[in-house]
Formats: sequence, C-alpha cells, structure tokens
Amino acid sequence: MAVLVTHLEKYQKGEAGVKPTTLKLEAYLVQEQARFYRLAYSYLHNKDEVLDAVQTAICRALEQRGKLRDKELLKSWFMRILVNTCLDMLRQRKRVSLIAPEDLTNSSYEDPLPEDETLAERINRLSLEEQTIIKLRFYEDLSLKEISLITDTNLSTVKTRLYSALKKLRISLEGAMIE
Amino acid sequence: MNELKNARNDYEATPIPQELDALVRASIRQGRKNYRQRYLKISLATAAACFAVLFGTLNLSPTAAAIAADMPILSGLFKILTIQNFQQTQDGIDFQVSVPEIQASGPLAPQINAAIQEEVDRHLAKARQDWADYSEAFLATGGTKAELAERRMDVIVDYEIKSQTDTTVSFAVYLGECWVAAYEESYYYNLDLQNNQPITLQMLLGDDWVQICNESIQRGIAASVDETGFSYFFPAEEGGFAGVDENTAFYIRPDGVPVVTFAKYEIAAGAAGTPEFPITTE
Repeated sequence: MAVLVTHLEKYQKGEAGVKPTTLKLEAYLVQEQARFYRLAYSYLHNKDEVLDAVQTAICRALEQRGKLRDKELLKSWFMRILVNTCLDMLRQRKRVSLIAPEDLTNSSYEDPLPEDETLAERINRLSLEEQTIIKLRFYEDLSLKEISLITDTNLSTVKTRLYSALKKLRISLEGAMIE
Repeated sequence: MNELKNARNDYEATPIPQELDALVRASIRQGRKNYRQRYLKISLATAAACFAVLFGTLNLSPTAAAIAADMPILSGLFKILTIQNFQQTQDGIDFQVSVPEIQASGPLAPQINAAIQEEVDRHLAKARQDWADYSEAFLATGGTKAELAERRMDVIVDYEIKSQTDTTVSFAVYLGECWVAAYEESYYYNLDLQNNQPITLQMLLGDDWVQICNESIQRGIAASVDETGFSYFFPAEEGGFAGVDENTAFYIRPDGVPVVTFAKYEIAAGAAGTPEFPITTE
C-alpha cells in the first residue's frame, strides 16, 4: 500500500530521529493559500473579512501547532481551524448589525448575488453545517472521512446531513459521488 | 450534474487578491512569534536549569561543544557525525543547518561526504542568491529597508538516519528553503561501508528488481484510488509513474524493506506530499 507520508507527518508523530520543524506547516500554508482564500470566500463573500479570516486561522495554527502531535493529518487539522474561524466570524456578524436592515440598499453589499437562483446561491442558503459538508465534498474534493474530522462530527451524521442537503439542493448524484 | 460543475467552476474562479501572499507570510511570522513567546514562557518555567546547563555549556566551551557533537550516533565500522550545526540569522536569512558526515576507513565515505557537502554548498549559495534577488526586487519596486527588515527567509539543512546495521546505513539529507516560494529537496544515501559500495535496489531485490518495484508501486497507486475513483497520482501518460530505474530514490527501513520515494509533484499532485512505497513481494 502506498504510504502518503510527508516528512511533516513524521515530524508530527515525533518519529525517532526526526527533529521537529515548522518548515512543512509553513510551506503548506504558503502553497495552498489560494485554496484557503476560496473556501473562506465561499462563506464570507467579502474580501477584507476573508483576508482577516485567513490571517486569524494561520496565526491560530502556528500558535497551536504543538497540538498537531495527534494522529490527525495536517490538512484536516488546518481546514478545521479555517472553517471554524469562518463560522465564528459569520456568527459574530449576525450579532453585530450596525446598519438597520431597512437602510440597506443593494449597493451596500459588496458582492450582490446573481438575480437567478444558481446552485452556488442555493448552497449558501443551506445551514452552515450542510454548507460546509457540500463545499468540502464537492468544491474541495475531500472524502467524507476527512470531512468528519474537519467538522468534528461522526461519519454517519456527515452522511445524513449530506443526503438532506442534496435533497434540498434538488440535485441527485450517482451513488459513487456521495460515498 | 452540470449545475454542480458550474458551481464548482465559479468557486474555483474566485479572484485571489494580490495582497494574499504577503498577508499569509506576515501571518506565519506573527504566529511563529506568538508561539515562540508562549513556548519560551513554558520552557522557562519548567526547564530553566536544563537549558542553562546544556546550551550554556555548549555555547561557552568549544571543547564541550566538540565533545557533544562527537557523540557517535552509530557504532561499529563507521559513525555519522553532525559536522556543521548552526542556527543563526544573517542578513534576513534564518539558517538551521545540520550537515552529516560519515567517518569510516574505506574510500566510499569521503566520496559521499564530498557529494553531500557539494549539495549543501550549492543549496546555501542558491538560497543566498534567491534572497539577494528578492531583496533587490523588493527595494526596486518601492519597498523600504524597514519593511524588508521585517521579512525573513528560512533555510534548512537536516538529515535523518532511516536505518543502520553494523556495516550499512541508510539516511536522507533534506534541503529546504521557505520564503516567497517554499521547496524541499531530499537526497537518499544507502551505503555498505564494509564493501565500500552504495547499496542498490538490485542488491536488495535480485535481478527482477525492476519488475518487483514496478508491481509494488502500481499496487500502491491502485490502492490510493478513493471511493469516487479519484487519485492524487497522475496517469502514466500525463507524467505519472512510468517505472523505476537506477536513479530511483529509496531508503531502507529498519526491517530491511526498501522504500521507494518520489519528490513532490514528481508522480502525483502536490497534495499527496512526497509519496513513498515500501517494496514488498506479496
């Protein structure tokens, strides 16, 4: 069987003879930055907030990298931090409303949604839990197992939410895409 | 299905702002600093005495440092020492360098040492040049010296002993550079110091070594295909795995099993990291 072990994972596992270094984590963060931005953007839809979220997530990851020693893989570990950061910001946004809703005009939105209801738009109207599963599965190509790690939810819950989300989105897919 | 494809295309077309890269780097700096401060507090509270004894002695006394560095990692016919070991910041570059050297009586050791030193020198020179080019471009495009002073490049040289016996050793040397671009190179050395020759896959696996390796790796690649039929590995016609040859990198596990390794992007998407395949016959 192929062992897709990067040096980083060995560092994380503290395998003998390997000196701990942050090279791999930092290299990963630099390399996959566009991916983080896209994912965060799909939640926040505002450039400044997205940059803020990416910054916060990276700082958190580096500060907490000592916790990386458990068996979790780097990717799921960082994605989890990033998704949680975005969700935190969304929740905060709900609490802090500086402009009364009736004063909002279309131009107040930095990114107006398209007139017709696209699939992307429907995805964004799902619950946050369902959004996350759909985005990670179909935008980021992650497996349900990885998604269950990232969302800290057990696998069968992830599956149930995925099915109900797909139903709401009115899309049916081949079984193979969902498993 | 098409709708899903469109949604995904839209998602992937999200414009990436130019300032993202600088922000990511600044965040890494900040996070690293925060971590160091936190780590320092903890270690100061718990291990102040140890640090004073260990680092204090090593830094003060060249003799003590020499003795510490000379502790043989291996016994028997040969030993591997860290000959260059330094951590320092110089002109904006953070160096973390540990270079190994084999000490053995035969003609092979000096040859390998020279080869390692050559790679290390080339790596350090390239890193300095990359950094000089970057600094020049940074200033030429309107950056100030103060802003430049905020920036850092990490240069790492490290090694790892994969396995050893009384007469053989298998180890890897890692060369890394991390700044605007991050990359890492690995070199693997498998040496028989009794007979003064590099160990080859053929010596380990017999005359059918090419076939054994290829089958083993193909099995590994096939096993990596996930439930959706997706694999990080490229198909052979798109630059994927096409077979091993004399130059294929490998190391030897402590149980004697050779493990063939590939560089990042060599046969798979970057997300797969550096793929490794233990070569087994079953």
